[in-house]
Amino acid sequence: MRLRPFELVEPETLADALAALARLDGEARLIAGGTALVPMLRLGLVKPERLISLHRLPALAEIRTDDGTLRLGAIATLADIERARAVREGWPLLAEAVHRVASPAIRTSGTIGGNLCYAEAASDPAPALLCLEAEVRVAGPAGERSVPVTGFFRGFYETALEPGELVTAVRIPAVPAGALSGYVKFTPRSAEDKPLVGVAALITLDTAGRCAEARIGLAGAAPTPIRAHRAEMVLRGEAPSDTTVRAAAEAAAREAEPLSDLMGSADYRREMIRVWVRRLLVAMRDGTHRAEPNQD
Amino acid sequence: MTLTFVLNGHPCTAEAPAHWTVLDLLRDGLSLTGTKDGCGEGVCGTCTVLADGRPIRACLVLAAHVRGRALVTVEGLETDGRLDPLQTAFAERGAAQCGFCTPGMLLAAKALLTEDPAPTAQEVREALSGNLCRCTGYAKIVEAVLAAAPGRS
Ligand SMILES: Cc1cc2nc3c(=O)[nH]c(=O)nc-3n(C[C@H](O)[C@H](O)[C@H](O)COP(=O)(O)OP(=O)(O)OC[C@H]3O[C@@H](n4cnc5c(N)ncnc54)[C@H](O)[C@@H]3O)c2cc1C
Ligand code: FES
Ligand code: FES
Repeated sequence: MRLRPFELVEPETLADALAALARLDGEARLIAGGTALVPMLRLGLVKPERLISLHRLPALAEIRTDDGTLRLGAIATLADIERARAVREGWPLLAEAVHRVASPAIRTSGTIGGNLCYAEAASDPAPALLCLEAEVRVAGPAGERSVPVTGFFRGFYETALEPGELVTAVRIPAVPAGALSGYVKFTPRSAEDKPLVGVAALITLDTAGRCAEARIGLAGAAPTPIRAHRAEMVLRGEAPSDTTVRAAAEAAAREAEPLSDLMGSADYRREMIRVWVRRLLVAMRDGTHRAEPNQD
Repeated sequence: MTLTFVLNGHPCTAEAPAHWTVLDLLRDGLSLTGTKDGCGEGVCGTCTVLADGRPIRACLVLAAHVRGRALVTVEGLETDGRLDPLQTAFAERGAAQCGFCTPGMLLAAKALLTEDPAPTAQEVREALSGNLCRCTGYAKIVEAVLAAAPGRS
């Protein structure tokens, strides 16, 4: 089945892209990789008259580090991010979570900006970006601004972007020295599915073995990706003993407000959050967390 | 919209409306029906082709986005009338039954073997994880890819 006809605008400068977005005649939509948007177009969930493609803005595809900060252009593809040496070495949590998105062909086209702006609760990269305290760079009619990723997701498929704005980049500060981190994606059907729940965590231990930093990001646990603040509070200042980890997992399950959908009920999701927060933290503590998916 | 790109090793110029996907361009614009139209939603992998060596979902990518890139479809896998080792391995090992998933499987496997000539069975499964097969049960497909891996023999 063909897509409904639309006009395609392919700006070659950011200024032209913003000007195209500012036009008021008819509904327009940005398209990056299209892996989220094209299915929506095909199902008729959105019916824009005009698509504004970002693919001719190579500056937005750049992946680089500046003074220890990682800068991912909005149209950097998930495939390029998971392969980038700087990312694998400096931000392994991000490389791990991005690698778990769907299957290789989706990652060839899918972009980090598209993933953020789609704002799906079941995003794999989002929990990692929340733990890494990333900053979203936004350009719009009033100039540029930064939004912490912790404030970027506003509601069910809703972001902090104002009309006329687009994401230009994601900036990620250096990971605290000695941090332990990991991501687990739980998919009850098959490995390439979207996560029923996804858990990212990053902790640092002080010399006495207590958690100094404790950050937990969750996918599938609320209408948007979230940080599990109560669970983090349980961990901070404590050694990650079995008892503390259990209490943190319990807190995460209690603070989650998952939705029910075809993949699973809210109760099932809550239970799986309890299980996977605990398993991830134990595996990180014991050095047994593996970045690769299970073999079964 | 006029598009110029490289198709199966040859320069190609084609006309396509702006709302066409790569799948529309290949099947309807260029009559290359080896690339299959399965779900149209990015889920099944039957429409997999290579763009600059990497697998893409032809049903999800706008035709406009392949300007200047090199596409390979199943029609381009053979060289001088000789099948690609992957095709031979699929045929010899019974990795194709109805054949509907086969073009997509071959291209997803081709991308893997180009990047890693000696993958493990687990890496093969991961590379093919987005390609569904309703016939074979996958075991023979994985065997065939491993048999065709140049770095493993
Ligand atoms: C079969 C399938 C499986 C999937 N599995 C997963 C999965 O396991 N995990 C996961 O996290 N995701 C998954 N996805 C979702 C999707 O592929 C990813 O979210 C991808 O990263 C989206 O990026 P894109 O560039 O393709 O976005 P697009 O489809 O191009 O855009 C998505 C949305 O963001 C907007 N947008 C894009 N770029 C910008 C920008 N720079 N500024 C402002 N708005 C912008 C668009 O207007 C659109 O509304 C899956 C999708 C499919 C089809
Ligand atoms: S037809 Fe493209 S993935 Fe199914
Ligand atoms: S051989 Fe029939 S779907 Fe794979």
